[in-house]
Amino acid sequence: MTRSTAPKPPAPPTHPVLKILAPLASVFIPGIGQALLGAWRRGLLLLVSLATIVGLLIWRIRLVGRREVDFASMIGKAFQLRPILLAITIGAVLIYLWIILDAYLIARRLRGGNSAGMWALVLVVYFALGWQIGDINLVTLTTQARDAAPFMQRILWPWERAIHREEILLIGRAEIRIPCVGTPPAPIEPAKREPSLLAEPTCGDLSTPEGAPGSTLTISGSGYAPDTETEIWWMDELRNEFRQRQAGEYVKVTTNADGAFQTDIIIPYRLIPPAEASAYSTWQLQARQLAGVGPAEPSEVLLLAIEKMIETIFLGMMATFFGIILSIPVSFLAARNLMSASRITLFIYYLTRTVLNVIRSIEPLIWAVIAIIVVGLGPFAGIVALTVHSIAALGKLYSEAIESIDPGPIEAIHATGANWLQTVMYAVVPQIIPPFVSFTIYRWDINVRMSTVIGLVGGGGIGFLLIQWIHLLDYRAAGIAVWFISITVAILDSISSEIRQRFV
Amino acid sequence: MLDVRHLTKVYADGTVALKDVSFQVPDGEFLVIIGLSGSGKSTLLRCINRLIDPTEGEIHWEGVDLATLKGEDLRMVRRRIGMVFQQFNLVKRSKVITNVLAGRLGYSPSWRSLVGRFSPEDIELAYKAMERLGITSQAQKRADELSGGQQQRVGVARALMQQPKMILADEPVASLDPVLAHSILSHLERLNQEDNITILCSLHYLDLVQRYATRVIGLREGKLVYSGTQEDIRSMTDSQFKEIYGEEAERAGGLVGNLSVETGGGS
Repeated sequence: MTRSTAPKPPAPPTHPVLKILAPLASVFIPGIGQALLGAWRRGLLLLVSLATIVGLLIWRIRLVGRREVDFASMIGKAFQLRPILLAITIGAVLIYLWIILDAYLIARRLRGGNSAGMWALVLVVYFALGWQIGDINLVTLTTQARDAAPFMQRILWPWERAIHREEILLIGRAEIRIPCVGTPPAPIEPAKREPSLLAEPTCGDLSTPEGAPGSTLTISGSGYAPDTETEIWWMDELRNEFRQRQAGEYVKVTTNADGAFQTDIIIPYRLIPPAEASAYSTWQLQARQLAGVGPAEPSEVLLLAIEKMIETIFLGMMATFFGIILSIPVSFLAARNLMSASRITLFIYYLTRTVLNVIRSIEPLIWAVIAIIVVGLGPFAGIVALTVHSIAALGKLYSEAIESIDPGPIEAIHATGANWLQTVMYAVVPQIIPPFVSFTIYRWDINVRMSTVIGLVGGGGIGFLLIQWIHLLDYRAAGIAVWFISITVAILDSISSEIRQRFV
Repeated sequence: MLDVRHLTKVYADGTVALKDVSFQVPDGEFLVIIGLSGSGKSTLLRCINRLIDPTEGEIHWEGVDLATLKGEDLRMVRRRIGMVFQQFNLVKRSKVITNVLAGRLGYSPSWRSLVGRFSPEDIELAYKAMERLGITSQAQKRADELSGGQQQRVGVARALMQQPKMILADEPVASLDPVLAHSILSHLERLNQEDNITILCSLHYLDLVQRYATRVIGLREGKLVYSGTQEDIRSMTDSQFKEIYGEEAERAGGLVGNLSVETGGGS
């Protein structure tokens, strides 16, 4: 590029006036000097580069410093907030000076055609602008990644949500007398299959509102489900239930492998209504556990995901099927070698090609939105959208396959005395089958992948579930959907490449 | 006996490819057609089996005028005329055996060939044809896996499957090296001598013409400019050959001269 715009060696000598005028002109309008010296393309390119850089720079400075009133303070604020803008400004100034120098060197015939440095600087400034406009912030990417980790973890390993077990509430009870008056209550004999809870002692004082801690109780439970979280609850004499809190957090204990636990708790503070005040009261201490019992079953989420995944695969398959059926006739109309016989057919050819290109340039997601307006939400809208796009894409690919047919074998088979049908079967079909199969498999592949996202706008399939679960912040369920999509796409990928290898 | 009378072909764009060409070929001859590229050799051969419709003239063969045939009648005649091409014109992605069997299509009912089936007799015939051309071991390979020489042998086998009375060969060896050229032409010669199949073959090199032809005709700008017997062609000199090839041949004269001198010394 630079070589062609630099002055060629056998150019006439520069006019002495131009030698001074050209660099001077570039001081006022960068690039004009180069244009005056004959390198008008170079000059124009430099002018446009610098003008766009300055324009973009002003836009970004105004945007960053929009709270300031005058432009000078805007610049100050912008440079302070986004130092990269300062670097870009320095770059722009350097380019400006370099353009003047370039005009001077060209006028003096000192420029050997190699000005890669200047163009590199222009590119670097553009990339710096791109960095700033794109709001690229690698610091956020690294510091906030940790906050996203819990969600990512659920998406990456969502399988807890795939298994469901029937749950029952296990409650162990112990009576606590407050304060210690008379005989403390005896442990409650647990009913069959119920866990037992023992407290030592079984009486004590409440914490005070001033902050003095109450009595410490050592509680131990047994007969619970192993390795499961257990909550500590109180029920006062008025049968009000509340959870045991210590140091601002709810107390939770996890049972050991035998389903037992032991922990210390401090009797909390509780305002007793004066009407109920008596010498003592008996509270109930409970250790509650939600335990899974019975066999593990696939969860509703898992079943739904499988159901929708199957729907998705078939959605893609049906769209491909209709796409093939409809695109074959279209492809003949879009094949130049078949349609160049007369002006009318050539017109049909151009018309078909144009329509196909327009249809193809509209994304399937947009087609899905249109299809939903027509046929309503659900997989059929997805099928319609993907079919429309498939017709355009396959029509183009098929027609190109038809265009690349070798006429030799057709002539040869014809010469053996074969009739028209036999000629098509033996000379045309073998030539177009491999590319057709290859394109079709490829399209099926694309359609299944597309059908996973077509649900995002309501076109049926697993995408519909995925977007719902994301909106409900059910990241585990969303993770299951993501896993299914990945697995399906991977399997399909290997199948399609295998089939294509066999046919082509 | 093939009797071509006043054959003329004018293409739609006005190009005169053949101009009043008349000649006769007795059955069992190995006729070689010589002439520059564009002199009308391919058009002449394609007019005979009507891949191209002649503008004027008659082509008498086995009691019918090929130039006027249509539909089924044309197909019936066409299946007894084999054709071999410069670019082999095999269906590249099909197997060799399928390509060879395709020569039988004119004899098979449509319904049977549409499902890709051929009669056991046809398959036996195909293996015989492949055996004669030494390509039996390649039967299950795809045509495009074969070398050029092998592909042309498949092309000849396909023509042979038609059990033809005549084979038209359009520059059958122009895409092959000299050794393979001899191999293909000697296969054609064997068919010519053993099965008494009339061969019409266009060739470029004088040594090949002198070695295989029993009769020669020369075309120049669509007109018949030379007709000779085996003796005539054997004694043909470099300058006569050049005459047929015209002024344009002069630049390629070195090559033409060398070949003719070599064979001249041999015979």
